[in-house]
Amino acid sequence: MDVFVNLMINGLATGMLIFLLAAGLTIIFGLMDVLNFAHGGLFAWGAYMGVWTFASTGNYLLSIVAAIAAGAALGFLMERFIIKPVYGNHVAQILITLGVMIVLTELIYAIWGPNPVLAGLPAFLDGSWIIGGIVLIKYRLFIILVGLLVFAAIYYVLHRTRLGLVVRAGVMNKEMVEALGINIRKLFMLVFMVGAGLAALGGVLFGPYSGVINGQIGMNYGILAFIVVVIGGMGNVIGSALAAVIVGLAGAFMAYYVPELSLAVNMLLMLLVLLFRPSGLFGARR
Amino acid sequence: MVARFLTIPRTVLLLIFVLLAVLPYVLDSRYWLILLTQVFIFAIFAMSYDILLGYTGIVSFGHAMFFGIGAYSVAIFMDRFGNSYGSLLAAVGATIVLTAIVSAIVGLLTLRLQSHFFAMLTLAVSGLFVVIAEKWRAVTHGTEGFTFAIPPFLRDRTVMYFICLFMMVITLMLLSRFTHSPFGRVLLAIRENEKRTESLGFQTLYYKVIASVVAGVFAGLSGCLYALTLRFVNTTVLSVQYTLDVLLMTIIGGVGTLYGGILGSALIQLVHHYLTNLAKVHWIFERWLILFGIVYIIVVMVFPHGIIGTARQWWAKRRFLKMREERTLNG
Repeated sequence: MDVFVNLMINGLATGMLIFLLAAGLTIIFGLMDVLNFAHGGLFAWGAYMGVWTFASTGNYLLSIVAAIAAGAALGFLMERFIIKPVYGNHVAQILITLGVMIVLTELIYAIWGPNPVLAGLPAFLDGSWIIGGIVLIKYRLFIILVGLLVFAAIYYVLHRTRLGLVVRAGVMNKEMVEALGINIRKLFMLVFMVGAGLAALGGVLFGPYSGVINGQIGMNYGILAFIVVVIGGMGNVIGSALAAVIVGLAGAFMAYYVPELSLAVNMLLMLLVLLFRPSGLFGARR
Repeated sequence: MVARFLTIPRTVLLLIFVLLAVLPYVLDSRYWLILLTQVFIFAIFAMSYDILLGYTGIVSFGHAMFFGIGAYSVAIFMDRFGNSYGSLLAAVGATIVLTAIVSAIVGLLTLRLQSHFFAMLTLAVSGLFVVIAEKWRAVTHGTEGFTFAIPPFLRDRTVMYFICLFMMVITLMLLSRFTHSPFGRVLLAIRENEKRTESLGFQTLYYKVIASVVAGVFAGLSGCLYALTLRFVNTTVLSVQYTLDVLLMTIIGGVGTLYGGILGSALIQLVHHYLTNLAKVHWIFERWLILFGIVYIIVVMVFPHGIIGTARQWWAKRRFLKMREERTLNG
């Protein structure tokens, strides 16, 4: 029972982190038709920025803010100078965002060094509660809480505000939205920055969760986010949230029971979905 | 006839190859021989990638897996069955068969998807290969890798130099034939407009799968040569790093030209070598990939045809202007 609950919490926490990455990826794809191969790089930047700020100031809240700000700023620069010139050209987009991924990763190595960096944990989130013989690690519950809050916020914005209405309409039919007199380019930039900020938030939460960060986490979590986006359906945020939880839980349980297969299972799941249901498991549009 | 065959670019090319062929007799430097051998090997790898990216217009992020299959085939056959020519031949045969099968299966499963998904899936599948190589320690010795003996004659660096040079020229000729064949023309059509090619009655999936098999087999062969020169193999030969290298080489050299792969390989190997030496001067040179990443982004954005393609365009434009000038003078 103890093991089961722990794996559950672990899986949910990982799922939430992947969701933060996948949410931006999926909206950006749905709205702008851009698959951002550098999204994992923003995650890694968030992690490093957060750990560095926390190590130098000791203020956890500030480290989260700094990471999100760094992510959004990078997102702004990327959209404005790198992705904008290649809208509509898929091959160039894939190539160029991969180039950005290389530069982002190498910059991390150049600034913070190639060795893994230890990530500190604030005192109020350290430790665990023991309820009825089950150990609940505080920080993991905190990640789950933040993930749920972000999901609720995204859901609220997308379904209860005018901005969300425009975004959803844009995912369905860009040209129509443009024809109705809405500046879709501005919307693109906003969505890209929010997506980048969410990825960075995922990164900063990831730091203390794993205890140590390195430049490779961007690529690793980027691939997981792709898998989630494919399973959930491109452009479908709620589908992504469900898929992230599935992938997170599958990863946690597989890593405990059959560690050799943990990565393979997710890849196979993605392959099957792409072959038999390319629109994703959830939501049947497109 | 001779004058028509020997255009200026061809003459330059021929001169370069002749120069490379006599180089070992003029230049007595083991170091340069090894560096140039690496350039030739990666040129083969980059040309094979150009078949996909430049001639068919598909972006694969998993090309390193074919390179790795070639390298591991040679390493494992040498390790298990002794360092005879027989086992080397068997290893090369195994490479061809394995890369052909893997690329055909991966291609059949994934090439019908949109370019986004294809790129992602190839990244994922090549990731799986790394995991397999890491876990199957009995054969691959995991991440640490292993060294192995090769046929004594091939231990000579000059011999390897000539073999690799020869293989590069042969690859260039074969792939050039391939791309100029009617089959290659269909690939170009797919690159330009896949839907239209399909509506003209071509089974585009079939053409794309064959293209990826050709690319996979040549990548595997370059991997064989790589393992032979290194006499050591570990899981990095399968890693994304090699895919990135080949991507940089092809893009910077020029996509859809084949020669671009050779130029890109030479450029990146040489610059990498010099920048790593400069690391003593300033640590930033240790991270030479930043520089290449930025150059790469600029090339994709501003010169999508790379060095060779841009030079060709410039050449064609000059000839056109000259012709027009002559015409106005005469007429």
